[in-house]
Amino acid sequence: MSDLAWLFIAFSAVWVGLGLYLFSLGSRQRDLERRLREFEEGP
Amino acid sequence: MRAPRSPLVPRERALQRLGIFTWVSLTAALGLIFFVAREADVTMGGQLQRIFYFHVPAAWAAYLAFAVVFLGSIAYLRTGARRWDLLAHSAAEIGVVFTSLVLITGPIWARPVWGTWWEWDARLTSSLVMWLTYVGYLLLRGLSTDPARTGRLAAVVGLIGFINVPIVHFSVQWWRTLHPSGPAVAAIDRGSGLGGPELAAFFVSLIAFTLLFAWLMATRIRLGRLSDRVEQLEVAA
Repeated sequence: MSDLAWLFIAFSAVWVGLGLYLFSLGSRQRDLERRLREFEEGP
Repeated sequence: MRAPRSPLVPRERALQRLGIFTWVSLTAALGLIFFVAREADVTMGGQLQRIFYFHVPAAWAAYLAFAVVFLGSIAYLRTGARRWDLLAHSAAEIGVVFTSLVLITGPIWARPVWGTWWEWDARLTSSLVMWLTYVGYLLLRGLSTDPARTGRLAAVVGLIGFINVPIVHFSVQWWRTLHPSGPAVAAIDRGSGLGGPELAAFFVSLIAFTLLFAWLMATRIRLGRLSDRVEQLEVAA
């Protein structure tokens, strides 16, 4: 495999890794906001 | 009456501005890395050496994160205040993300240059131990339902775990390792080290990763405060 192909894999790994972490933060936040809304709106 | 705002939770607009600065600087770093920095000597991987411009700043951000875990742990053990525990917890999570990036990009560079994905040398082994320590720290937090006990235990791990950080950093000087050290890692021509364009790419990337760390910290702390609020409501219900 060429240097550029390895470079592409490495940079993709960095962005995918950061993207997954940001997605996880966003997903946790949406879940918490939903639970908070449920409390505020009441049963 | 509104609860007093913690100094660790930045205002929403400041967080948005920090996010914009972060992504602008990351874009600038990408431009410099791919269009301004010159190709390195073939012994350092040629084009592949451009990994260095993300690999080293990610390691720097991980060091920064674990230093925050260390300071947050000391403050929590002294005061018992939840905000310091949240600070340390957030930093540990982000430090693990950055160390994972280091441990992924390093072997991708090493495979074509060294001919192997991994060597059990001092830098690589101590980095893996550092990653495992903080993964352990995060797992530990899920073991107990008593937040105060979990916080104290985690703070002790956060304190002891930091001992490994200077070992990781100085391992290339204290032991003979395969891992390159200092400017040699970015040698453009044999012996010339970093030139102006490469230094610019490196420092802009370093600043971008520092901003990314700060932005992720602010975002993660905000999430932690939200989680605390929901838990309080659930307990009260």
